[in-house]
Order: sequence, then C-alpha cells, then structure tokens
Amino acid sequence: MTDVQQFEAFVRRYQDMVYGTAVRLLGSPAEAEDAAQTVFLKAFQRYDEVVTSPAAAGWLKTTTRNECLNHLSRYRARWQFFSELTRPEQPDGDYADSLVSPFSHARDLEQAELRDDLERALRGLPDHQRVPLVLFHFEELTYQEIADALGASLGKVKTDIHRGREALKRLLPERA
Amino acid sequence: MNEQDLERLAQRELQRLPAPRAPHSLLPRVMAAVEAWAARPWYTRAWFTWPVGWQAASVAAVALLVTGAVLVGPHVQAAASSMLAAVQLFAGGVSDAAPVETTANGARILWRTLLEPLATYALVVIVLMFLACAVFGTALNHVVIERAEQR
Repeated sequence: MTDVQQFEAFVRRYQDMVYGTAVRLLGSPAEAEDAAQTVFLKAFQRYDEVVTSPAAAGWLKTTTRNECLNHLSRYRARWQFFSELTRPEQPDGDYADSLVSPFSHARDLEQAELRDDLERALRGLPDHQRVPLVLFHFEELTYQEIADALGASLGKVKTDIHRGREALKRLLPERA
Repeated sequence: MNEQDLERLAQRELQRLPAPRAPHSLLPRVMAAVEAWAARPWYTRAWFTWPVGWQAASVAAVALLVTGAVLVGPHVQAAASSMLAAVQLFAGGVSDAAPVETTANGARILWRTLLEPLATYALVVIVLMFLACAVFGTALNHVVIERAEQR
C-alpha cells in the first residue's frame, strides 16, 4: 500500500470525527469542510509522526479544535466574547440537512426530530455560547481549560455556558 | 432547576445527538489538496530536499556572494570616500565637512587594522560551516527518505 492509499484510508477513518468537531465548533458546514481539509493536510505534512501513530486521533482532535478556534478569532468579526450578539431566530437549514441521524430509518421518528431540533438549537446559539458549550460537553474540556483556550475569564466562560444551556432548554421545552 | 441539574440535562441530551457525518465531497477535496502539495515544485520545498545539483549551485552562489562582498567592500568604501570628497569640494564646505572626513578616516583605519586581516578567515569559517550544515542536512534527509521508503 502506497503512502497516498494509506493516507486515503486514514482520512476515511477519521473524517467524521474531524468534520463533526469542526462543524459543531464553527456552526457552518462550508467552514467546517475547509477546516477539516486544512487539518488533514497538516497530518499529511507530518506523515511519519501522525498517520502511523497510535495517538493520531488525539492529535487530530487537538489540531481541529485549535484550527477552528483560530479560524473563529481570525476571520469572524462577530466573534466577540464580551458582547451579546443576537443570532437569527431561524438558522439556515443546510447544517441540519447535513446531519445523518441513526433514527432516520428507525421507527422512532419523533426522537429523531427532537434530536434534529436540538442540533438546530445548538447551531442557533451565538458563537460565544456555542463554542464553550461544545468544548465542555463534546470535547470534555474543563472550565479552566476552556477559559485558557479562549483567552476569556473563568467567570465569563461559566456564564456563557450557563446561558447556552438555558437557551437550549428554552428552545426545547418539551425535552426539559 | 439548579446549575448541576441543568449541566446534567445538557450533558445527557447533547451526548444523545448523533455525530455529524462528513460530506462526500470532503475526501476528494482532501486528496486533491494532498496531491497538489506533494506535486509542488522542488524549489518551494525545504532546501534539504532539493536536487543535489541545485544544492551545490546554491552553495556556490552563496559562497560567491560572500566572497564578492568581502572583495568589493573596500572598493565600495573607497568610492564612497571619493564621492564624499567630491561633494565636499563641489559644495565648498571643506571646513564644515571636516568631522565627516575624520569619521571616514577612522572607519578606514578600523577596517584595515582590525577587520580586513580577519575577513578571509571569517569567510573561510562561514563557508565551512555552511558546507557542514549542508552535508549534515543532506545526510539526515537521505536517512529520512530511506526510512520512509523502507516503510
């Protein structure tokens, strides 16, 4: 198996993980795809260190997270941790459309709908709430680690996460 | 609902969400980017991966540049002094330009007594160090490539 074939298998294996992390942090499928491409290109450039390493998944997770946070701080004017920017009430549906629910072919369509709603609600949160929330609940970072990663105070991070959870609960009252 | 309950609720509900799936377009995009990166021209890559001929040519060019700078340096300084003198003469400000001439003379003496005798040795040392680095880098690169090929 050549390097390219081996790398293709590597991408197939980890693409959902990298893309999933990116799309939840960035909230945009197009930007998540760009970020995932950048991460995999970095992995290829460090082929010997990364691709054959047993710690590849951890490296990809960390690199994806850093890439997304850099992207948010560099390219988004609306990225303001100390502001309370409002988001449109109805987010565009392309992100939710990209989701493949394991329930889509199952009997319990209601459950699947509820999960789509929650994913939409998460997507609808402003960046300053969604990002720390995703880092806490999906990336399993502590409050302090999130504060360090975002360059925000611990109190600010806790407040944003709390508001994010409250917003999710409000948006999906039937699930509370 | 207190904070802990809210955290538990959020954790439970968010963990139930299915993982987003990568779009079908991602893999071809990544592989195209990787192939483009792998096929980039040799001169945009690290120096250690250049063809040996170009490595030798670049070393020779740098050595030539340094040698030229050392050899031409005194001539440039002399020309600058001559120009300065001509400007002074033209401007008629001989008395005003005396400090400038003193500084230029001082610099010339400093060059001849301290720097010029050491210049040749410094050049030799620089070239030797450069060559040593080049040889070491090339050897390292060959080792890496061989390891990659053996894999």
